[in-house]
Amino acid sequence: MIEVSGLTKSYGKNRGINDVSFSINEGQIVGFLGPNGAGKTTTMNILTGYLIADKGDVKVAGIDILKEPLKARRLIGYLPEQPPLYLTMTVKAYLNFIAEMKKVKKATRDSHIGEICEMVGITGVFSRVIGHLSKGYKQRVGLAGSLIGDPEVLVLDEPTIGLDPRQIVEIRNVIKKMGKERTIILSSHILPEVSAICDRILVISDGVIVADGKPDDLAVAKAEDYTTLIVRVADTQSGIRTLLNGIDGVRKVSPLGKIEAESSDFILECDKGSDIRKALFRTLAKADCPILMLRPQKDSLEDIFLKLTEKTAEEEVS
Amino acid sequence: MIAIFKRDFIGYFTSAIGYVYLGSYILVLNLMFYLGNMLGSSSTLVALFGFMLTIMMFITPILTMRVFSEEFKLKTDQALYTLPVKLTSVVLGKFLSSMAVFGCLLVLTLLWPLTISILGENNISEVVGNYVGILCIGAAYISIGVFISSLTENQVIAAVGSLGVFIALYILDMVAMFFFSGGVLPVWVMRILVFVSIYGRYTEITQGLLALDTIIFFLSVCAVFLFLTVRRLEKRKL
Repeated sequence: MIEVSGLTKSYGKNRGINDVSFSINEGQIVGFLGPNGAGKTTTMNILTGYLIADKGDVKVAGIDILKEPLKARRLIGYLPEQPPLYLTMTVKAYLNFIAEMKKVKKATRDSHIGEICEMVGITGVFSRVIGHLSKGYKQRVGLAGSLIGDPEVLVLDEPTIGLDPRQIVEIRNVIKKMGKERTIILSSHILPEVSAICDRILVISDGVIVADGKPDDLAVAKAEDYTTLIVRVADTQSGIRTLLNGIDGVRKVSPLGKIEAESSDFILECDKGSDIRKALFRTLAKADCPILMLRPQKDSLEDIFLKLTEKTAEEEVS
Repeated sequence: MIAIFKRDFIGYFTSAIGYVYLGSYILVLNLMFYLGNMLGSSSTLVALFGFMLTIMMFITPILTMRVFSEEFKLKTDQALYTLPVKLTSVVLGKFLSSMAVFGCLLVLTLLWPLTISILGENNISEVVGNYVGILCIGAAYISIGVFISSLTENQVIAAVGSLGVFIALYILDMVAMFFFSGGVLPVWVMRILVFVSIYGRYTEITQGLLALDTIIFFLSVCAVFLFLTVRRLEKRKL
């Protein structure tokens, strides 16, 4: 549905994005993840035709956005970081204006706008002036604007920013619901959000895509590089730490404290590629220390995100 | 284009701008009409239109300063750029909406010839000439103001910048004449200055000389500045 190849854009001396390529299939919800200033907004602005890239192509449903801009834009609904709202207009006037610009037929306009307002929950403020609304409502009006005309592709730049936790959940549900029939790209620097909504994550850091995959894949792939185990052992005797240290392949043992009564937790960092679980069981069994829990420590998305984006920052320095 | 026109036109009157523009204009002008034509028992509107032209320099920036500056500031330009609409339509729609507010002003001033027709007699060709002249120069001013508004996201800068340009155009003739009579400027420079002089042409119209080339001149000024505005907006995308 969306084909992006070799997108490059710089602002004066500052590099915006560099050689960004990806393709997104129909019906996917893709999350753009990255720290502030990584190039998320720049990429989205180019996708939607607000900016023109220095190099590279963007095709939406096979239509080049530079060659046939109006045709391509008709397929895209865009919610920029700051919703483009005319503050002196009422919600009704604003949505009608957008509908007119998107050439929604007059006969179906009212019912179309009504449906969208119902969906994003702004029916109650329909005839109020936008400038008087709270941030959360403004955000929803912006979202409603991007939904008008039933675009096949939705580009949402930080759609849940400035909303309270309950509203965030509501908007997420709206996005999920819409994602069943549409292709959605959304950006965020909030990880749980992206992993909750998206089928696929693109991590962008310093203008370059550093990772691409399903939320789970990303987590697993990086966890295999090293082995870290968390073990909970019943406190039947002292000196368990020395015991654990003696196991072949264990590099470091750090106590995690007591989480369950009469037990101790430890983190075992082991040599790469080694699997010490059997040895661990035998050693502790011999010492009559029952293992209450044993699990590998998987990197959370948060950790992966930090690692991926730190790496490029370090490279930059060197 | 129509959607933009409607939105902007209504926008003038949902904010204070439209009222300030029309109100301040009409208040001052009607006072002058009362002093000059009613108390002075004069039936000619030439002096009044001349005065209107002078204060137009100061009041037109109120009308045009926000046209694009405000869009940039509030980031609503992102909608204009990403909706399926050509930039030419955006610029034309906005220009026409400013023209429409200016048109409202002219409609309000129709009260003058109406009053005069009741109390005395109008010089029809003079009245028509003055209206055509002020409409032409208003269009030229608005197109220049719209262009300057597209250069900055600061409304104050847009307003002051437009005012500066209008004053420069106003004194262009006088400066040219001054240097010419002093023998500083060669004749061809003088000719160019006279050719581009908006006021020289305006005076011609008010004297009843409605030449085709003058109309074309004013239409060209609008076209050039609206074109420059479109180019400027395109450039912002790079």
